[in-house]
Amino acid sequence: MKKIAIGLYAALTVALLAWGFYQAIYVAPDEQTMHEVQRIFYYHVPSAMVAFLFFAVSLAGSIGYLAFRRNHDAWAQAADAWALAGAEVGVVFCSVVLITGPIWGRRAWGIWWTWDARLTTTLVLWLIYVSYLLLRRFAAGPQVQTLAAVLGIFGALDVPIVYMSNRWWRTQHPAPVFGGGEDSGLAPAMATAFWWNVLAWLAWGLLILVLRYHVERQQQKLAAQQAQSALDAE
Amino acid sequence: MDQKAILDHQFLVAAYAITWAIQLGYLAWLGLRWRAQKRQSGGNAR
Repeated sequence: MKKIAIGLYAALTVALLAWGFYQAIYVAPDEQTMHEVQRIFYYHVPSAMVAFLFFAVSLAGSIGYLAFRRNHDAWAQAADAWALAGAEVGVVFCSVVLITGPIWGRRAWGIWWTWDARLTTTLVLWLIYVSYLLLRRFAAGPQVQTLAAVLGIFGALDVPIVYMSNRWWRTQHPAPVFGGGEDSGLAPAMATAFWWNVLAWLAWGLLILVLRYHVERQQQKLAAQQAQSALDAE
Repeated sequence: MDQKAILDHQFLVAAYAITWAIQLGYLAWLGLRWRAQKRQSGGNAR
């Protein structure tokens, strides 16, 4: 039953991604100044939204780990697995943002990169979470999960700064499309294609987030088994 | 198609292709890890 449900969800996700692609390429109207290259927007912005959401999952997991680590070990381990899964899948989506953005920028602005507030804070966010993953991968000892949780919480503080950066400072990056005042907003046909892609990438992101969580939980169980075997052998 | 439109198209294709390469690459890496873990846990059970 569980396998059927996962299969159905995966099939629905693939269908949503195909529909989102069709909407972005064939249905959404051509933007008047940037023309075809503006369609990068339909992958770039949803990826940023999903990345922010998963960094929030990582934040919740990190707080949960710190809250439960002394009294509820099972809960703490589950929270830690969510923190790691959120950070890793968030980095994947943030990488998409940091690569598709410059490709779009090269055609729209004539440059690949500029050190404006939005781009720089996004790069810093990515670097913080990459350092989180490197800490998890290469450090050893009983304090690694605690240190990672603290880093995860500090990393998440950059998310609202990234979000507000093009409101607080003048940037090369365009002004906010949503919630940016009277002049912001999308044409209805563009908005339809955009929200389909948000839904599709969110569905995809949740699929790989849950898969990553299960891989990490399995890893925790294997590590516990190996530790127990080592104790039994003594 | 003029030169600008061709370049726009190529940049769009590059952005979409790289997005898919990153996402599917990550999924493949996760799948490999999952399979390795299943083998390892099977070995431990024996």
